[in-house]
Amino acid sequence: MPRHLIIIPAWNEARSIASVVANCRASAPDFDVLVIDDGSSDGTAAIAAGAGAAVLSHPFNIRYGAALQTGYLYALRNGYSLAVQLDADGQHDPADVVRLAAPILRGEADLVVGSRFHAASTYHMPRLRRIGSAWFRFLVRVLSGVKLGDPTSGLQALHRDVLELYSSDEFPLDYPDADVLVLAARSGVRITEVPVQMRAEIGSASMHSGIRVLYYVYKMTLCVIVNSVRPVDKRIRTAESRREAA
Amino acid sequence: MTEEQLRALLLADSDTTAVRVVALTVALALFFVVFDAVRRRRLSESLTPIWLTCAFAVLVLAVDLKLLEAMTHLIGAWTPSSTVFFFALLFLLAISLSYGIVLTRLGRQVTRLAQEIAMLRARIRDDEE
Repeated sequence: MPRHLIIIPAWNEARSIASVVANCRASAPDFDVLVIDDGSSDGTAAIAAGAGAAVLSHPFNIRYGAALQTGYLYALRNGYSLAVQLDADGQHDPADVVRLAAPILRGEADLVVGSRFHAASTYHMPRLRRIGSAWFRFLVRVLSGVKLGDPTSGLQALHRDVLELYSSDEFPLDYPDADVLVLAARSGVRITEVPVQMRAEIGSASMHSGIRVLYYVYKMTLCVIVNSVRPVDKRIRTAESRREAA
Repeated sequence: MTEEQLRALLLADSDTTAVRVVALTVALALFFVVFDAVRRRRLSESLTPIWLTCAFAVLVLAVDLKLLEAMTHLIGAWTPSSTVFFFALLFLLAISLSYGIVLTRLGRQVTRLAQEIAMLRARIRDDEE
C-alpha cells in the first residue's frame, strides 16, 4: 500500500504544534506525520513527539526551506509516494490534506497548491501582501506559463517525483515559494490548485513580517527570474520523463 | 601649463626611491605572511595563488615603475596611485565575490550535514527504543 506523509517544519512552535499534529492525525489517519524541529529552544520536538508525530531535530536552525527539504529526504528514503507539507503555526487546516492529495492520487497532477483566493475563502490577507501575491502570480504566469491564483501558498501536496526534484541543490533553503513553482513547471511537473481555507496564525508571527518582507520580495523576484532562465538539469526532469516512458 | 604637461608631471613625479622601498616592503611582507600562514596551516594552499600573484604584481611594479606609468597611460588615469587603487579595488571585488561563492557552497554543505544528522539521530533513537 502506498505510504503518505505530512511534513510539518517547526521552529519554536510549542504553542501550536500539539494541536496541529493532533488535527493532522484526526483528519488524515492514513498519513504519517513528520515534524522537522528546526533547532527550536522551546520544547517543540518533545511536544510534537508526545502528540504522536515522528520528529527529526536539526542540531541548529537552518531555515524553513532546509527544514522542508529534510522532510523530502526523509520521505524519499522511507518509501513515501506522496507528501503534503503544511505550516506548524496553525494557519493551514489539516482537514484539507486529503483533498489536496486527491489530484495526485488520481494521476491528474504532480504538485497541488492550496489556494486562499476563491469565492468562499474567509482568509483575510493584508493589502500589501495581496499586492505582493498578485506580483508573484503575474511573474509565475509570464515566466512559466502556469496560471496559479496563490503561488505563495505553503500548503502543498507533492508527488514522489517532485520530492526528488526538491531534494536537489536547486531547492532554495530559505523561503521556497513562487520560485520553486517556476522551477517545477520548467522541469515538467504538472501543477494544479485546490481551494482551501486558511486561518490566522495561532503560534508565532509570520516569517514574512516587518522589514523582512522587503528582502523577501526582492529575493523572490530575483529567484523567479533566475529560475525562468536557469538550465534545467535533465536528471531531475523526472515527472516528464516518467510520463514519456509510460 | 597644458593639461598634457600637467599629466606628464604627475606621472614623472612618481619615480622615487621611497615609493620603490614601500612597494618592495609590501610585496615581501605579503610573500612572508602568505607562506607563514600556509606553514601554520591557517591558509589552504589552494587559496595561495591569488595572494602570491598579487604579491608578485606589487614586486614587479616596485622594480619597474615605468610599467606602472605605462599602465596608467593605458587605462587613461592621471596618476600612478589612481592606477594602483583601481586595480586594488578590482582585486578586492574579485576576491570578495570568490569568497561569496565559496561561502555559498559551504553553507549548502553545512545544511546538508545538519539534515543528515537529524535523520541519523532519529534512526539511533528508534534503534534504542
